[in-house]
Amino acid sequence: MATKLDPSVSPQGLIEDYRHGFHDAENYVFKSGKGLTREIVERISSMKDEPAWMRDFRLKAYELFLSKPMPAWGDTARLAEIDFADLHYFVKSTDKTERSWDDVPEDIKRTFDRLGIPEAERKFLSGVSAQYESEVVYHNTSKALDDQGVLFCDMDTAVKKYPDILQKYFATVIPPGDNKFASLNSAVWSGGSFIYVPPGIEVAMPLQAYFRINAENMGQFERTLIIADKGAKVHYIEGCTAPKFSTSSLHSAVVELIAEEGASIRYTTIQNWYRNIFNLVTKRAIAQKNATVEWVDGNLGSRLTMKYPAIYLMGEGARGEILSMAFAGEGQHQDAGAKVIHVAPNTTSVVTNKSVSAHGGKTTYRGLVEIFPGAVGAKTHVRCDALIMDEESSSDTKPTMKIHEQRSTVEHEASVSKIGEDQLFYAMSRGLSEVDATAMIVNGFFDFFVKELPMEYAVELNRLVKMEMEGAVG
Amino acid sequence: MARQKVAKRSEIAPGTTLRVVVDDCEILLCDVDGELHAIEDVCTHDGGPLDQGELEGRCVVCPRHGATFDVCTGEALTLPAVVPLMTFAVSVEGDDVYVDA
Repeated sequence: MATKLDPSVSPQGLIEDYRHGFHDAENYVFKSGKGLTREIVERISSMKDEPAWMRDFRLKAYELFLSKPMPAWGDTARLAEIDFADLHYFVKSTDKTERSWDDVPEDIKRTFDRLGIPEAERKFLSGVSAQYESEVVYHNTSKALDDQGVLFCDMDTAVKKYPDILQKYFATVIPPGDNKFASLNSAVWSGGSFIYVPPGIEVAMPLQAYFRINAENMGQFERTLIIADKGAKVHYIEGCTAPKFSTSSLHSAVVELIAEEGASIRYTTIQNWYRNIFNLVTKRAIAQKNATVEWVDGNLGSRLTMKYPAIYLMGEGARGEILSMAFAGEGQHQDAGAKVIHVAPNTTSVVTNKSVSAHGGKTTYRGLVEIFPGAVGAKTHVRCDALIMDEESSSDTKPTMKIHEQRSTVEHEASVSKIGEDQLFYAMSRGLSEVDATAMIVNGFFDFFVKELPMEYAVELNRLVKMEMEGAVG
Repeated sequence: MARQKVAKRSEIAPGTTLRVVVDDCEILLCDVDGELHAIEDVCTHDGGPLDQGELEGRCVVCPRHGATFDVCTGEALTLPAVVPLMTFAVSVEGDDVYVDA
């Protein structure tokens, strides 16, 4: 299937090309009007029947959102395309969270089927919650998790059921005033996952959620909070694909991870947004003494992605790793990167970022490594490689290193390359077509990332990359 | 810098702050339940002033990135700040406010 754009093709034709571009008829219990007002924020809170502290939190965040400027850095021209007055900020698709798969409404179930969450997977994974629109409609936590005392539910439920944990951790990693999009999320957030793993508990199976946007012009503002208490271990996986849209849509999530002493959290995400979506996400983690946090972050699609998963290494011996890949096709800008802040001694971090730009797409690596005074023995290794497929595509690398401790080790490697003619020639001399050879080389370039994924994601990602490459040659 | 007079007590309304600069040292006086506390008026995250931020009870919130500090102890309560603020001894005599910086 060709994905290269021909100016003579109508936008509708393009939309039909998109693999996940199916679109169910909209059928909602409640959909807020366009634009954001104080009344809409209050309405969201009252519809969710939230306690006063959360309502006040939202209203304060709404004021911050109004007062904060748009970012003055990055792709400001594209950011200016966002029309906040033309978005819906809350859509509720059913009036209650479904407990059993059988009770999930047929049209929603159909959407999940087409996304390919197979029945076997539900049995295989220890917990599946699939977010459809703004609220989690299906949620199933296996008994094994309950027995271990692991809390895994949607954030709306957590606000009511676990107020003590929420008030202790919520918005301490990403305060509402952090940036304009964090303020917006704090004001109108809906859905997202909450996980709490008690001390010493290791969750053997990855926990998983599937996100999807359906309503036209709808912003999706999920909020995720994961806490691994002392010595606990958890792996969370989130995957995103979006159906077609005719106008721009905004996705602005906030994800907070807290790894207490000796704990370990891995957060894997693959996002494949349709090319008109703005994906502006704030992700940040805290790692206390001897804790480990790993972000595994894959970005495909979207009009503009701005995403810089961050890790604050707060305690001695904490370790952070950020693995990310980005693919920018026609009309897309993947502005992605990583931030690691070494606050304590003997902390270590590894950042590996690989990006491919094709068909006029643009990738930017924007990263920060900061080593605080006194973080003696801190070690960091940053590597970013960019592959540019054609003359129209481009790539920028903007690493920042702030080193305030001399007794630390900082390594940085970066490369920008074109696809090698000799590699292509070699592969084609072995009987591969140019398309297959190119796809193979690009998949090899992303191999470091794919091998960290669970099997089904790895298969899908390889397929997506190949599809993207089919339009790249000839 | 030794102990010196920095402001009038009547200038600081309940629940508000006042920024003063003494010997190049930027100080924020905060009225928490009628009691004065003095912190350095420099966010430890980005180095900018805190005086435009909101004082909520005993917490001041940085107006730029939302970092929250306890004005009584200087402790950084939320990211993106991780380093505590410097605090100063403060005393009131009549309508005069003195700070030991």
